[in-house]
Amino acid sequence: MDILTSLMGGFAVAVTPLNLALAVFGCFAGTLIGALPGLGPVNGVAILIPVAFAMDLEPGSALIMLSCIYYGCMYGGRISSIMLNIPGDEPAIMTTLDGYPMAQRGQAAKALGISAVASFTGATFATLGLTFFAPLLAKAAIHFGPADYFALYVMAFATIGGVTGVNPFKTLLAAVLGLLLASVGLDPATGTARFTFGSFHLYDGFDPIVAIVGLFAVSEIIMYFESHATSGAGPVKLGRALPRLREMFEGYGAALRGSVIGFICGVLPGAGASLGAFVSYSTEKQLSDKDGTFGTGDPRGIAAPEAGNNAASGGALIPMLTLGVPGSGTTAVMLALLVSLNIQPGPLLFERQPDLVWGLIAALYLANVVLLVLNIPMVGIFTRLLSLPQWLLMPIVVMVSFIGIYSISHSTFDLFVMIGFGILGYGLRKLDFSLVPVVLGLLLGADMENNLRRALSISGGEFGILLQSPIALVIYGFTALMLVFSFGIAMRQRPGAG
Amino acid sequence: MIDRMVGAVIFMIAVSAVWVARGYEASFGDPLGPAAFPQMVAALAAILSLGLLLRPDPDPVAQSGPALARQLCTLAVLSGYVLLLEPLGFPLSTTLGTGCLALLFGARPWKAGVTGLAVGISLFVIFDAVLGLPLPFAPAIFG
Repeated sequence: MDILTSLMGGFAVAVTPLNLALAVFGCFAGTLIGALPGLGPVNGVAILIPVAFAMDLEPGSALIMLSCIYYGCMYGGRISSIMLNIPGDEPAIMTTLDGYPMAQRGQAAKALGISAVASFTGATFATLGLTFFAPLLAKAAIHFGPADYFALYVMAFATIGGVTGVNPFKTLLAAVLGLLLASVGLDPATGTARFTFGSFHLYDGFDPIVAIVGLFAVSEIIMYFESHATSGAGPVKLGRALPRLREMFEGYGAALRGSVIGFICGVLPGAGASLGAFVSYSTEKQLSDKDGTFGTGDPRGIAAPEAGNNAASGGALIPMLTLGVPGSGTTAVMLALLVSLNIQPGPLLFERQPDLVWGLIAALYLANVVLLVLNIPMVGIFTRLLSLPQWLLMPIVVMVSFIGIYSISHSTFDLFVMIGFGILGYGLRKLDFSLVPVVLGLLLGADMENNLRRALSISGGEFGILLQSPIALVIYGFTALMLVFSFGIAMRQRPGAG
Repeated sequence: MIDRMVGAVIFMIAVSAVWVARGYEASFGDPLGPAAFPQMVAALAAILSLGLLLRPDPDPVAQSGPALARQLCTLAVLSGYVLLLEPLGFPLSTTLGTGCLALLFGARPWKAGVTGLAVGISLFVIFDAVLGLPLPFAPAIFG
């Protein structure tokens, strides 16, 4: 009952005209950005954070707008997967497997319809999960001490992307590099300047938002010339604009199963939407691919990963809001936003700022409905935008991100830092490093260090305190298990490599 | 091969970070002090970079010449844009920057020019006038 009352309060916040307008704008902008090849939710949210600053929004309203962009990107990512065979973002990769073959057969509208319904199912399931599960986790997390938080950060870094199968050395190294970058600047506890090399510009350290836009958006622009230079084919024909209602519910069972799997993947630290989509697809393939139709345009092959990635992105909000430890790249970006608005996510957020949390959750329910409307009857707008030339779209994206960063501090130094991070991001991507751990390290480094130092002040410098709390021990145990698992996979995949 | 090189570079950076950080001391505050955490992290980086040295991945696909040239040009345009942003003001530098980028992305010259002008003016109007974000107009001309 408690939860329902809070949720009602949330709807009262979410339906104010401003918030409603921001939600609709966020859904539209998100779907658009998600649909553009190569620009995923991380980019979308990162580019538009500075815009939210420029609009001088209340924290709650800014969060509503950006979460709607986030959900919108997750919906939109499938559009270019289906129409162009180019995933809009990483979690949409699995959708290309059955979506594009279906579109080539002239059933593009049906594929878009199925995936929209599946996205809605996944996202709504995850929002329900968020509603009921997040308050419980927040209550439990109130008992966490500094040593437990330190353990939690260790787990976030050790497990991030660890199960996705890229070289786990590189993932861990990326996280550690992020942590090292985070220690640049004045040490908040003692005022010691660290790694600043005498430059006053570096005393504040690297602003995570500047770094994120550089790492993701700028590196994407540089990457573009390699990855898209050869694909000259335009989008397939949409055919009839509206699919039949019955057609859209083909593979609905797959969507439901995908939602559950995706949600669990999303809540796990560091796993995120890509894993949600991947596991949902492969599970569904094992369960129901009796005739070998998966990969040739099977509706279930679209429904499962789309439900999975949308459910995972909703699930990823749970650890971000309740623990302050994001589970994915995009939620990391949203954490950066909250921190720069002076809001510290964590268990106390639910008690201290119920309007903000519940307003956000209510807005997500509304966003799902708006997105369903945008993505079924109005999907034609977005497919038409896909045929706009890249020379028009890309420069606009670049310029908006430059204005955004400039608006934060009005310093061209930050813009150079951003370009620098763009080059770094390009290099890391080229070498198969994941960028998300770098961002997480940069973002969480200060908090991680703080909790470590706080724990050691309590114990008077005795490192044993880190292992005294049962909560921390459970977390370390889980972390060790995940590490063994991910290194095991990596070793098996590359026998005798090196 | 490139993985080994990167591993070696990271190893050197990490070791020098440990060395640089040894001087960070504060006479007050917590028992751990400002040096310990960066040193722990850098030491971990050094250990992990050895993993890269010993078990490198296969090299990424080599870059085609024209793509590399465009990438370098893009970086040059972006840096030039940042350098000119304050002296030339937002509308003019953005027009130039957008136009050059559009060219790099394969637009015909006149289309790139029109795009640049449209983007430069409309973004300035949206952000400066509508959203109230002060952007430099044209300091070089109007002081």
